[in-house]
This record gives sequence, structure tokens and C-alpha cells, in this order.
Amino acid sequence: MAAAAVASLFGAVLRDRRNRGVVVPAAVQDLAARSIEQSRGPDYEVVLNALPLGVVLAASDGSVIFRNRVAVSVVGLRHVDLLVEAAVDRLIRQTFDTAEAKTERLELFGPPPRVLIVSTVELADGFCLAVIEDISERSRIDSVRTDFVANISHELKTPVGALSILAETLQGEADPAVIAHLSSQMIKEAHRMSDTIDDLLELSKIELDAPLRQNNIDLGALVREAAERHARTAAAGGVTIATDVPEARFVVTGDRIQLLSAASNLIDNAIKYSEPGDTVSVRLYREPGKLVISVEDEGIGIPPADLDRIFERFYRVDKARGRGTGGTGLGLSIVRHIMANHGGEVNVASQEGEGSSFRLILPVQIGDNQ
Amino acid sequence: MEELRKGFHGEINEVRQSLATLAASVIEAIPRATNVLLASDLEGAEYLILTDDEIDARSLELEDRCYRLLALQAPVAGELRQLVAILKMIGEIERSADLTVNIAKAARRIYGHNLDPKLRGIISKMGDQAQQLFAAALEAFETEDVAKASALDDMDSYLDGLQRQFVQAIFECNLAGTIDLQVAIQLAVVARFYERIGDHAVNIGERILYAVSGWRPELKGAARHKARLAGDDTDGVPFPEVGPGS
Repeated sequence: MAAAAVASLFGAVLRDRRNRGVVVPAAVQDLAARSIEQSRGPDYEVVLNALPLGVVLAASDGSVIFRNRVAVSVVGLRHVDLLVEAAVDRLIRQTFDTAEAKTERLELFGPPPRVLIVSTVELADGFCLAVIEDISERSRIDSVRTDFVANISHELKTPVGALSILAETLQGEADPAVIAHLSSQMIKEAHRMSDTIDDLLELSKIELDAPLRQNNIDLGALVREAAERHARTAAAGGVTIATDVPEARFVVTGDRIQLLSAASNLIDNAIKYSEPGDTVSVRLYREPGKLVISVEDEGIGIPPADLDRIFERFYRVDKARGRGTGGTGLGLSIVRHIMANHGGEVNVASQEGEGSSFRLILPVQIGDNQ
Repeated sequence: MEELRKGFHGEINEVRQSLATLAASVIEAIPRATNVLLASDLEGAEYLILTDDEIDARSLELEDRCYRLLALQAPVAGELRQLVAILKMIGEIERSADLTVNIAKAARRIYGHNLDPKLRGIISKMGDQAQQLFAAALEAFETEDVAKASALDDMDSYLDGLQRQFVQAIFECNLAGTIDLQVAIQLAVVARFYERIGDHAVNIGERILYAVSGWRPELKGAARHKARLAGDDTDGVPFPEVGPGS
């Protein structure tokens, strides 16, 4: 890296060539300030390579004279990196042309989707600095938060609104048949509201990380019980539940009620999204260091874009159908928290039109099972 | 003289980089188009249509740059083959971007219709495979990997198979009465668009082979034609044929 460029980068980093203040990420400013304070200069390349930001320095002809480690491969996906590189080059050119700092938000589809902020500023002696910041995770969290607020409002307001309208209609009604119909609708809406509140309370209880009841649980018996709970619903919908549990006893320590609720939730979902004639397979098996309960269906499957989000509270893949199935939109979120409380995890694989496979994975302590 | 050639090599590298970025735009556009179709995303459709205009502009600019280099530098051998191959690859990439726009336009035409999950699943697979093919073509181009470039044809067979599977699934939905005829026709055309994107990726692979070794797929047909004219029924295909002056 050219000495002049380094001096320029650290000496003039807070001013552009018109001597105006420019926005440079705090991390870069700190590093610059510290380097100036210290009498001995640090190895600037090492410093820049340690930054979690992409840093690109271009000479006055637009040619890049330095890229730090992050800027060489911002995302690690070749085509996305090429598009970022092209955007940086374009912004550097525009900055030289207009002598103004530039900032652009890049939303790249990937997959996985990425959101990046590229900022460029012209330095006092003819160099241009570009900083690339990956805000994908921040942006994902923002969208989860926004969707959560919208979804919870919808889930709570819909039954309240329906109850209010039904009650108003009931007030002026004299026909006993209509009154019976309206009151049964009101009961349905009240139950729906009650289910949502129950699930919200259960979720907050699990989220509190309250000490688990420590039972020795025979997972085989638990899986069979969960399947039996739903046998009648499955039969009514023409769906077969096939249970495959080994003869050997697989015992884990944990909260029996919570684990039963997790397995039961997955079986319930699998039945809801299956067609008559489909089979839901529930299996218990061992993998090195873990026990797995898998629930597979042959139903409609989950679109790839929704797979990462289905464990969020109130997230629904198909808004219209999801509410029609009577769920509260909290089931999978509860499952995820239960598994986290047990030091395990839940994962999903799905193909639209072919079905979904959910796996509850529990770690096994050495000596727990033979 | 040496300095002049140095500048020329720098320009060829820049042209290669621009072509790679052009291909990257298509690799980015393919899953966007699939999402537009599956999520009925009208805003996304509009974005793709606008992006295609930019790709057209960049393609023309790159083509002009290649013509200028051909005219002013009079390249020979490998460099000539490289520029000629790049000129042809620009067309393949630009056409593929048009096909992603066609998918977005089809999505607008069938807006409001629910698609059968089985059809959605195959569309998703076709989109993934088309993107992987293009990504593999880009990698083969950047690394001049002849083996990878040759493998694109095999990868494309899987996409062709998916297209056939998709058309079959459309017939099944039609028989079951779960699809509107207009939608069925639009979707059959969409499958063809994905299949064509795969073909363009294969063509890019063939142009990479040409740039590196001088071999062209048309040589097979040309050799057969020559043999027929000469009354010879042997099917000798020269491989690789080395380009002029190399």
C-alpha cells in the first residue's frame, strides 16, 4: 500500500477535499485517531484487514490501490461479490466526478439475500475511500420486528373486531336461528382469541428460561403418545400416521410436558397441511451424540423464501390458509424455544408440492442410553 | 511496443471483468424472477424490467469496446479468439436477461391465480438449476476451466428433465381441473424460458472452449457435411482445432 495513500487515509479521513465533514464509520475514525496518537505507526494493512468492514482505496484515475480482506470477498458468493465490486467502482467514479461523498444501499437477492451499504468519500490529496458495510443481519432483525408488530396486531384485532360486529348484529336480532348462528360464531372467535393468549403465555413462560422440570423421559413412549393424541384428527382428514419407534429405550432428561408439546405441535401441523390419502411419518432414531424425532409429511411443502422465517412468532407462509387451519401462528416458535431450553434444536427441510420434514434434535449425554 | 501490448492486455482484462459482472447480473436476476412468479410480486417484476434496460445498455457498451479493440489492436491467436468468444457470450447473457424479464411478465399475466404446490416446487427447482448453470458458466469463464465448461451440457440435461416434468404436472393439474387454461399456457411458456436460460449457459461454456482451445461445436456438423460431400461416411470430428496463428 502506497505510503502517501496511507497518510491520506488516516490524516484526512474526517474531511473531504472541500474541507467538509464526512460520514466515516466510527470504527475507521477510531483507528485513525489511535494511529495518529501513537508515536510509532502500526502496520496499517494489518489494522485495515482486522476491520469487519470492507475498505477500498482508489487513486485519482479510479484505479484501486488497496482492498482490505473483507473487500476482497465481501459475501463469499462470486456473483454477489462481482456486483458489489461494480457498485464500488461506479460510486468511486461518481465521487471523483462530483467531488461529493456518496452512499448507496445495495439489496442483493443472493440467495441468501444480502443488504450492504457502500459509502465513498474523496480524500484531500486525490484519493477516494470506499467503505462497505454488511447490514444484512440488522436488516433481517428489523424486518422480523416490523412483521411481528403487524402480525400480532392482526392476530389480536381480528377476533376482537369480529366479536364486536357479531355482538352488534346480535343486539338487533330476533330470529332464533340467526341468534344461534351468530352466538356460535362468537364462541368460535372467543376461542380463537383465547388460544392465541394461551399460546402467548406459554411462549413467554418458555422464553423466561424458567428451570425445567427434570424428568427421565422415555422418548419412544413420548412419541407414541404424541401420535395417539392426533390419531382421531388424522383419521377424520383421511391422513395416516405411521410411527416408527425402535424397541430399545431411548431415555433423556428434560421437561416431559414441553417435549410432548413440541412433538405434538409438529404432528398437528403435518396433518393440517396434508391431503386425504397422505401419510405422516413419525420416527425416533439415534445419530452419533444425539436423538432425533422426525415428522415427515407429503403435504403442500414450504416455499424456500419462507423456510428461514417459519419459526418466528406469528409468521404465516400462506396468510389466508394459515388462519383457516385454526392455528395461532405461535406453534413453531414454541417448538424452537422448547428445543433451545433442552440444549437441542429443530430444523426443517421442505420442497413445495412434495412435503416437509421437521427434526427435533436432542443431545445425548454419554452413558444416557446404551 | 511492449508498453502498447501491456495496455492492450489490461483492456482485455477489463473487458473480461465487465463480462463477468454482466453475467453476475443475470445470476442475480434468475432467482428474483422465480420469486416474482411464486410470490406474485408486481413491484419485483417492475424492478426486473428496469434492470434489463441497464443490462442492454451495458451489453452494447461492452460490444462496442470489443469492436474497438478488434479494429485498433488487430489481435491474433488466443487474444483474437477470446474477443470473438466474448462478443458471442455478450449475446447469450443479454438474451438470458431478456428471458428473466419474460418470466416476470408472465407472472404479471397470471397475477391472482393460485398455483398448485407441485407446480410451485418444480418452478423453484428450475430456477435453482438455471441459476447454478449460469454460476458454473461464470466460474468456468473466470478460471478458463475447460472441464467445467464441458460439464455444463450435462447439468443442462437435468434442467431439460425438469421442464418435461413440469409440462407433465401441468397436464395432471388440467385433468384434475385445478388450473385455468390461460395459466397453464403461460406456465408452459415459463418452463421454456428457464430451459432456454440453461441453453444459453451451455452456449457460454462452448464459447469458453473455443476461446481456450479453438474448438467449436459446429465443427461436428461441418465435418459431417464435408464427409458427405466427399462421399465419405466416417464421422471424424477434429478436436481440438487450433485457431489461426496460435
